[in-house]
Amino acid sequence: MTNPNEKIVPPDLVYVTFIRSTPQKVWDALTQSAFTTQFFFGRTIESDWKQGSPWRLVMEDGRTDVEGEVLESDPPRRLQVSWRVDWIEEARALAPAIVTYDIEQAGDAVKLTLTQHNPGPVPRKFVDAGKQGWAAILSSLKSLLETGQPLVIRMKPPE
Amino acid sequence: MSDAQTRFVYITYIRTTPEKLWAALTQPEFTKQYWFGVTMESDWKAGSKWEMMHDDGRVMDAGAIIEADAPRRLVIKWRNEWKPEFKAEGYSRCTMELEPTGDVVKLSVVHEMDTPNSAFINEGVSNGWPKILSNLKSLLETGAVVMTEKA
Repeated sequence: MTNPNEKIVPPDLVYVTFIRSTPQKVWDALTQSAFTTQFFFGRTIESDWKQGSPWRLVMEDGRTDVEGEVLESDPPRRLQVSWRVDWIEEARALAPAIVTYDIEQAGDAVKLTLTQHNPGPVPRKFVDAGKQGWAAILSSLKSLLETGQPLVIRMKPPE
Repeated sequence: MSDAQTRFVYITYIRTTPEKLWAALTQPEFTKQYWFGVTMESDWKAGSKWEMMHDDGRVMDAGAIIEADAPRRLVIKWRNEWKPEFKAEGYSRCTMELEPTGDVVKLSVVHEMDTPNSAFINEGVSNGWPKILSNLKSLLETGAVVMTEKA
């Protein structure tokens, strides 16, 4: 039995999905609140998406979910941000993750690759929640772009 | 996971029912659409033979059904048959779990080998599943796949 509070330095989390869309639409969906409110558990997103600028993911009640800095911005191909979870007290003290979105045309589809790199130790429960969460978020993004309707997926934060 | 294993995990959420998803995972009229022409042959009972064929009739992968609990859980003993270096690694195990939540089904695919650094898992399976399952999701949600060629 693994201990959910045990801290580990996880391997990079990589999630690949192929979406019937264009790279620009995928970029817009990842960076504009009109889309994120639909597929990212209701969150709005704020930034001018220039390298060095701050960015923020905001919950419906106004609290900050995640904040960080834009490390690399090459629309509509690559976006890299630092990722510090703010709303869970225990997560606040961790070294920020580096999250990268790579967007490329692959035949008729757009290949979206999400990579989350954690430079420091993270409790197992957050690593597991990240795997579940990204799968839900990116599944809903794909549905939104392909059908106009995001998915409704209920999920609890790690305890 | 112990160090003696190689494991690939993919989770996707699909707007469908467990019954439709089970049918899509097992019936040739579905698999050939989203799995780049592939069909599977089995009676989908524990202990039964399982084979995956290319559209030209070549056997790509083969093995047996370890567990089948429609429409919830399917475990397949799975060996690649066409690439000698993959075949030499022996049997892998693929576990598919379907869990409904509202009008969405969570599909988890865990494909693992009881040896470290398996090329079949790290090179074959890891590249294949995201394409196949993206195609499957699109087929069930929109009626059409995203990719007809394995790019």
